[in-house]
Amino acid sequence: MIYFDNSATTRPCDEVIKVLNEDLTGDRWGNPGSLHKLGITASGAYDKALGTCASVLSCDPGELILTSCGTESANTAISGFMHANPRAGKTIISTHTEHKCTLETLASLEKQGFTVKYVSVGKDGKPDLEMLKSMLDKDTGLLCFTHVNNETGAILPLDQIRELRKTLAPSAALYLDCVQSLGKLPIDLKKMGVDMASFSAHKIHGIKGVGLLYIRKGIRVSPLIIGGGQQNGMRSGTQSLPLADVMAASLTEASKHREDAYIEVSGINQYLKEELIKRGAVINSPDDALPFVLNVAFKNFQSETMLHCLEMYDIYISTVSACSSKSKKPSYVLESMGINRKVSSNSVRLSFSRYNTMDEAESFIKAIDEIYKFYEVNVR
Amino acid sequence: MATNVILARMGEVTLKGLNRGRFESQLMGNLRYRLRQFGKLNIFQSQSRIWIEAKEEGNPYFENDEAAKELMIAVTQVFGIVSVSLARKFEGDINDIDSNAKEYVASYLEQNPSFKTFKVECKRGNKSFPMNSPMICEEVGYFILENFKDLSVDVHNPDFVLNVEVRDYNYVYAGKMMAHRGLPVGTAGKGMLLLSGGIDSPVAGFMMASRGMPIDAVYFHSYPYTSDQAKQKVIDLAKIVSRFSGRMNLYIVDFTKIQLDMVKNSPHDMLTIVMRRVMLQIAQKLAQKTGSKCLITGESLGQVASQTLEAIAITNEVVDMPILRPLIGMDKEATVQISRDIGAFETSILPFEDCCTIFVAKHPKTHPKHTDIEAAEKNLDIEAMVKQGVEENLEVIEI
Repeated sequence: MIYFDNSATTRPCDEVIKVLNEDLTGDRWGNPGSLHKLGITASGAYDKALGTCASVLSCDPGELILTSCGTESANTAISGFMHANPRAGKTIISTHTEHKCTLETLASLEKQGFTVKYVSVGKDGKPDLEMLKSMLDKDTGLLCFTHVNNETGAILPLDQIRELRKTLAPSAALYLDCVQSLGKLPIDLKKMGVDMASFSAHKIHGIKGVGLLYIRKGIRVSPLIIGGGQQNGMRSGTQSLPLADVMAASLTEASKHREDAYIEVSGINQYLKEELIKRGAVINSPDDALPFVLNVAFKNFQSETMLHCLEMYDIYISTVSACSSKSKKPSYVLESMGINRKVSSNSVRLSFSRYNTMDEAESFIKAIDEIYKFYEVNVR
Repeated sequence: MATNVILARMGEVTLKGLNRGRFESQLMGNLRYRLRQFGKLNIFQSQSRIWIEAKEEGNPYFENDEAAKELMIAVTQVFGIVSVSLARKFEGDINDIDSNAKEYVASYLEQNPSFKTFKVECKRGNKSFPMNSPMICEEVGYFILENFKDLSVDVHNPDFVLNVEVRDYNYVYAGKMMAHRGLPVGTAGKGMLLLSGGIDSPVAGFMMASRGMPIDAVYFHSYPYTSDQAKQKVIDLAKIVSRFSGRMNLYIVDFTKIQLDMVKNSPHDMLTIVMRRVMLQIAQKLAQKTGSKCLITGESLGQVASQTLEAIAITNEVVDMPILRPLIGMDKEATVQISRDIGAFETSILPFEDCCTIFVAKHPKTHPKHTDIEAAEKNLDIEAMVKQGVEENLEVIEI
């Protein structure tokens, strides 16, 4: 099997399975909120896991909230911030190429009376900074951006955006969706200067069901889930030690292998790009995109046909982001980047992880050649 | 003690002459098959109606009105049935009739809270019952009026009719759930339905089954151009049709190589017509092998390029069997309405690539001539294609 769909999800790594197994079979199954010995054991382990996450991400453990997924993190951050800060500006600035979990939250806030302004993105997938400049003012309450786009790998010019905010809208908060950049780009929350950020474990060889939300000390956010007041009241519900450990283990591993993986994947990406261009493919990912994502349009193959052709070779890729691929419309991300419909309906996404190898990339190209030989159809 | 029973009325079947018995026994058999998942049942005919009771106590479908509804819907899906009612069955005198009528009306009004007027109709088969029908109507009507202060009597145009029947047992019931009418499946010969993943073909199958025709279906699968989800969608649609048509075999033809062969060797503006001609021939071969006497398609005149009269004429030529096209003169809206009624629409519109839009030319010929088709098939070994379709990788799914 060749798995080139790592932006959709990844397979759990051995370290994650090991810690999960220990937590589920050992004596740490107590409720971290209990006052007895079992509870204290569990809560000690839980705090340790969260501490590990905090040290990998360079923040304070008190600034991290364990959630169920990236979507919950995004919802809590965006909605929670706007509702908790009635005196902040009422305008949110974002782009049309955000993940659906951001776009839908913004749409819902719009219905509630907030204003949302969308900065256009260019062919390089980056927001138009001049346009952003003209939009920033003292009514700007929140900026929502994605660190790395899930469909194209386009990287946000974070430093420039942070500078613009500093001069033009210093009171606006900055939320960053780091789901795709985690484990691939260096994440140092202190240096990055963001106020809120979201993460997910299953994109970095953890498991589904656990994400993180970073909220910088001093930023007020109202919780989405209320109840017993766990996690400082920011996310009620009994804390799960196994999930905390999964998050910690997958983060630790991702950070340990990050630099090597980047080099290996850059090689794979470069090789595939060159070989595919030779075969008439169009690369939709910007030149300076993160090498872990390669969005490419194959000549004479609709996205879904190519996906199924590769499936026959036990190779797995994605049409667009898996969350939205059941809707038949061409990718809204590519559309926003000004890529025409014909190209975008032939586009697929290859996405890599530290477990992919150059051998796999070579087999992939071999498969593509065979697919062209047997299945190319061009009906006029 | 009162129990729930279900009363089903037959339609066209009762108009039959000497062969009425055959139609009725087919209908009874179909009912038994359709209701097999509802526990042990007593299904019998009496007074040209069909009664359905639980054979054993504790059958959940007879415990309350809500659960009975599920069973009643299944009954309405058996062709030959016109309408279905939920009745209360009990023994006793006029006091028992009163109390059961009251209980029934209370539950009936709960489901139909807007009803304000009613009348009582009575049939008395048991002539030893001490009151006659008008007397029973009067007594029960009075009792209901006394107990339901919001109700009044309207004998001409009531919101509901409360029926009382006095036979070996007593029955009360009101309201009808309308069924799909038609003739019992199995009273006509079998047909082979060309089932795609769209809206039309399941409706076409439903319509022919409603005339008593058992159905098998054939689907042309072009993996990797059509996905396995598209195939699953067709299987789901076949299941929906089979709720009405009974047992069905779904034949899945591996069509990929055949289609690729066509793309390489015939002009693209004729592809759809050539493809349909080959599909019909494969379907006919399968039909002949499995006892179907006709083909059924969901074609509607002028809907797409391959459904113009000229295109239909040219596709018709390749088969000897009758091709039934029940939707040929129907408006799309009307077809969609039937699709919704039979519960197929939501599945039909799932967005999986259907019979390969990939193989459809931008400007297909809408008025093909004989010379066109001769030229288009010149370089194709049609016979070999048909043989390949019928024999290679044919999958059969019992629905």
